This record gives sequence, C-alpha cells and structure tokens, in this order.
Amino acid sequence: MKKIVGWTAALCLLLAPGLFAADTVKIGLMGPMTGSWASEGQEMKQVVDLLADQYNQQGGVLGRKIEILTEDDGGDPRTASLAANRLATRGIIAVIGTYGSSITEASQNIYDEAAIVQIANGSTAIRLSEKGLKNFFRTCPRDDEQGKVATATIQKLGMKKIAILHDNTSYAKGLAEESRANLKAANVDVVFFDALTPGERDYNAILTKLKAANPDFVFFTGYYPEAGLLLRQKKEMGWDIPFMGGDAVNNPALVETAGAAAAEGFYFLSPPLPKDLDTAEAKSFVDAFTKKYGNVPKSIYPVLAGDGFRVIVEAIKKTESVEAEKLSAYLKSSLKGYPGLTGTLAFDDKGDRVGEVYRVYKVDSQGQFVLEP
Amino acid sequence: MGLWSLMEQFFQQLTNGLAVGGIYALIALGYTMVYGVLKLINFAHGDLFTIGAYLGLTLLTSLALNDYVGGFLGLFILAVMVMGLVGIIGILLERTAYRPLRQSPRLSAVVSALGASIFFQNAIMLIYGAKFYVYPQDLLPVVPINIFGLSIPLMRIIILLASVVMMIALYLFVQKTKIGTAIRAAAIDQGAARLMGIDVNFVIMIVFFIGPALGGAAGLMVGVYYGQINFTMGWIYGLKAFTAAILGGIGNIPGAMVGGLLLGVIEALGAAYISIAWKDAIAFFVLILILIVRPTGLLGERVAEKI
Repeated sequence: MKKIVGWTAALCLLLAPGLFAADTVKIGLMGPMTGSWASEGQEMKQVVDLLADQYNQQGGVLGRKIEILTEDDGGDPRTASLAANRLATRGIIAVIGTYGSSITEASQNIYDEAAIVQIANGSTAIRLSEKGLKNFFRTCPRDDEQGKVATATIQKLGMKKIAILHDNTSYAKGLAEESRANLKAANVDVVFFDALTPGERDYNAILTKLKAANPDFVFFTGYYPEAGLLLRQKKEMGWDIPFMGGDAVNNPALVETAGAAAAEGFYFLSPPLPKDLDTAEAKSFVDAFTKKYGNVPKSIYPVLAGDGFRVIVEAIKKTESVEAEKLSAYLKSSLKGYPGLTGTLAFDDKGDRVGEVYRVYKVDSQGQFVLEP
Repeated sequence: MGLWSLMEQFFQQLTNGLAVGGIYALIALGYTMVYGVLKLINFAHGDLFTIGAYLGLTLLTSLALNDYVGGFLGLFILAVMVMGLVGIIGILLERTAYRPLRQSPRLSAVVSALGASIFFQNAIMLIYGAKFYVYPQDLLPVVPINIFGLSIPLMRIIILLASVVMMIALYLFVQKTKIGTAIRAAAIDQGAARLMGIDVNFVIMIVFFIGPALGGAAGLMVGVYYGQINFTMGWIYGLKAFTAAILGGIGNIPGAMVGGLLLGVIEALGAAYISIAWKDAIAFFVLILILIVRPTGLLGERVAEKI
C-alpha cells in the first residue's frame, strides 16, 4: 500500500509541470528586440502584450489565460533559427513574427516541422508563401502587390527614367526585381539598378554614381536607417530629385536621421498608418495603446503583429481547438472579412492576406507622414 | 558625357573615398599602436569607437557647449573630453582584460579581446537602448567649399585634416619624445626595455590611452557628420579599419594612415566604376593582392622595429 502511495505521489510530481502548463494557451512572439530593427521589435512586444492583457481581462480563450512567450531574433537569420528552436520546444500553439523576410525565412521550416502556426507581420518577400508550407500566414501584403503599386505610383507621377536601389536583403531585392519587371512591362526606363551595403554610414559614393546615371526618380527598396542617410547625404550634395521608398522605410527614425528639410517630399508606400485608419477597432486600439504606453504606435508592422495575434485567437475561439491543422484550415477557408486593426482580414490558400492594403504617403515640411489622396 | 563631367565624377568619388578613408585611418591607428607594442589585435577597438560616438552625443546634449562657445570651439572641447574619457576606458580595459593575461599564450588575450568587444556592445545597448540615436543637425555653419568646381562639405575637410594632424602628432610623439622612445623600446623587446629601467606597464598604459582616444575621436566625427549612431556601428568600422591597418602594414603608424585612405578610395572607385554591390569584395580582393606581393603590408617592411 505504502508503495502505491509512493508511486502515485511520484507520478503526480512528474505530471505536475504538464498540468500547470495546460493552464495557459501559449503563443510565441519572435521579433527583433535588439539589432538595427529593435524599435520595430520592441513595439511588437508592446502591441501583443497589450492585446493579450485585453483578452485575459475578458477571461482569456477556451477558459484559459493567454501567455505570451517572447524571443529575440536580433534581426539576424542565425539568431532567429535559435530563437525558433527555443520557442518550438516550449509548447506554443502559434507564433507571431517576424519583421524581416530573410529572418522569417530562417525560422519557417523549424515552425513547420513542429506543427506551429506562424503569422509573419512584416515579411513581404514573395517566396515565403510559395513553399507550400501549410501553417504559414502573413498579415502584411506581398512584394508583388507592392511592386504593382510602385509602378502605378511612378506612372501617375509621370516619371520617365527610374533608378532602383536595393540592399541585397531578400525583401529589398525581391521588391526591386518585381518593380523593375513591372516598369519594363509598362515601358518605363530603368536607368540604374544596384545594391548598397546596409549598416554603413557613408553612401556618397553610391549617390554620386546614381546622379551620373541621370534618373528623374529614385526608388529605394531597403530599410529606414539607410533611407534616412541617403536623404541626408543627397541634400548635402545639393541634388534635388524625388525619392520614393518601399514599406520598410515607414518609421519616424527616417525623419530623425535625415532631418525634416531633407526628408520633405519623400514618397513611400505603406499599409495605412494606425492614425489614418478610421474603423472602430483601429480607434479603440490606438486609444488603449496611447493610454498604456504614452504614445501612438509609431510603425505599422507592430500593429500588423497585433492583427496576427487577433486572428489566431479568433481561430482558437471559433474552432475550440489548439491544433495547427484545424487553425490553419479555419484561417484559410472560414475567416472572411474579419475586422482587423489594419482593415478587414482574410487569407488565401497560400496564407497571404487578401485585398489591397498599400497606400502612398509623402513627407511634409514638418517631417510628418501625410497620406496621399 | 563629356570628358569634363567624367573627370568631375572621378574627383567627386575620390573625395568621397578620402572622407570615408580618413575615419578608417583614425581607427586603424588604434589597432596598429596596440599591435605594435603587445602583438595583440584589440578586437574591442571598434566598440571603443562606438562608445566615443555615444559619449559625444551625451556630452553634446547635456552640456550644450555649442550654445555658449560656438560650433567650432564647442566641438573642439567636446573632442578633447571624449578622447580623454574613451582613453580612460581604454586604460581600464587593458588593466582588467589584457594585463592579467600578458604572460599567457597569445590566443588567450585574443579571446579576451573578443569577450571585451561583446561586453562593450551589450553594455552600450543596455545603457542607451537598441534604437538609433541622432546627433543634432547644423552643429557647424554650412559653408560650401568649392575646390576646382567640386563642392566639398566642410565636415569632410575637418575629418581629413583632423586625421592627418593627429597622425603626424602621434608620429612625432613616438619618434621624438622620451616616452615615445620608451614605447618603441617596449615594442622591440619588453624584457630588455625593463632591464634598461623602462616602466613597461606605464608604456602600455600610454598606448592604451592614445589608441582608444583616437578611436573615440573617430566615433565623435562619424556622429557629427553622418548623424545616425547605434550600438552595432563599431563592428563594420572596426572590421574596415582592421583591414586598413593590415593593408598599410600593421604596427606601422604612417601605414595605418595610408591603408585607411587607400581602402576608402578603393571602395569609392570600386563602387563607381565596377559595381556598388561588389564594393566590399573589390576592396578585400585588392587587400589580398597587396598581401600576396607584400606580405607585411604596404609600409610594414621593418619587422624588427614596429611602431
């Protein structure tokens, strides 16, 4: 008898961690908490923490609290694969993130093998959703969508000789190549196509070469730290020519680096900023965020991470399941017109967001991002 | 495109390269001095450069010197303060991370240097946060300077002049003063130098003050000129400056200067006439070619007496 009690006690001890673990629904967040994109990652965490708190105050999901497990991908593919491995072993149902396309790419297969739903928030490279991974989704649009909008914008502005500059990351290169193909099809001259090295400070040599190609419009498809420096050094050179950026320049740090005078007149493509959205969901979210953190969300990608988090919670609620297969099937076939923070959400069979998202912004003389009509 | 505009293009790229190269040269001086005396690659040097940039920004915004004494004098005082502080950090670094390992195999000291680099980088991130910081703009009056029809920003001329002046001062210090002689003696043979009554620890302390101080000055210049700083900036600059030091002949002071300027110019011309995306590959290819022809670097032939 004593023996049985002993064994039962031992068994209980063994099972106990498992029992406690079942108490919460675990959702991972993988984002660049450090590295050059840290401002994006840290705001991603703020957004997802805020939304998780809101759900938990209403009793969580499936009668369980939601627990967010955060890992830092450092904006670096190697760190990301380590982060993904750590998260995959900690019993998460789904993971939100991440920002850069090459970073997401390094983690995709790890989550796929562990049967975890991944919802990327800023990775727009086309091939991420062309690999036939069943549990991969993204709330941001794809580069081919952005390439089309870029071409339409350039034509609308009446530009004839275009220079395209990227930074060799999978995202920027993909967008640059897509745009070049579209522009050629539309009979617009691409007079320059090359890549800079991200992380440097001096891009004067590149600007001098760009200027010699004599374009009337420059499309830079890279990220905001480099875009800010390019604008600043372009102004210093006294070269007056319109620049446009892709959606990765959408961060106020751009204007801080360049200065308002150098950034004025800069165009960029982006999903709408939170402050420009007028749906009830967007407004109440921006209010709650401002109340908790003292400022409005600065960038759109953290908000898209919030949308990823909200659709996965919705899927768990509706399917009453935490199995990746059921969740993915629900997101692909049953979720239609879900009112997200960035407009309505639905996904196609590849896991890509359906519908037009991009808008054109222009920087005004105060350095504010103004939505072009 | 006419001949004149081709020439203008070439000279514009040349000045672009010299501006970048001036910064490389200043940082390379620190690598070269430490290597000359200790035969140690101070991998934390790039991070001391970053610390210079951050300290410069902190002092600039907290003291508001420029409001009281004007742009040029303000920056000069700032540079002296930053150099002093980074130099002291350099001395502390040597005292804690390198001196205890001086009798150990050289590899231990290299590992310790890598550790110090990681420590500094993360310390900066924890203190200041991971975001980009931006120096206030328009610290100096904007004076477009025209040289043969090329407009050259004032800050570039300051960077280049400051690098050359500091290099010459350092060269004279090492060649003409008593302490300089002691440094050279310690570089040749520490044991013999000690027997001649030279305080080798003091000499090494001086070296670890001057090298990091120059790196800190370079950090401040990058901050003031380019505006944008973050905690990882030291990595790429450190790597390039290390390359420059090897190119010129590591351990050789004029070599670091020549190597830095040359690397900057090769990069700019490579970007201009071959491919922007291949700029770094071109620079390293030239480095390999030079090392094949001259394994000790451009000016590094007198192996017996380095620094």
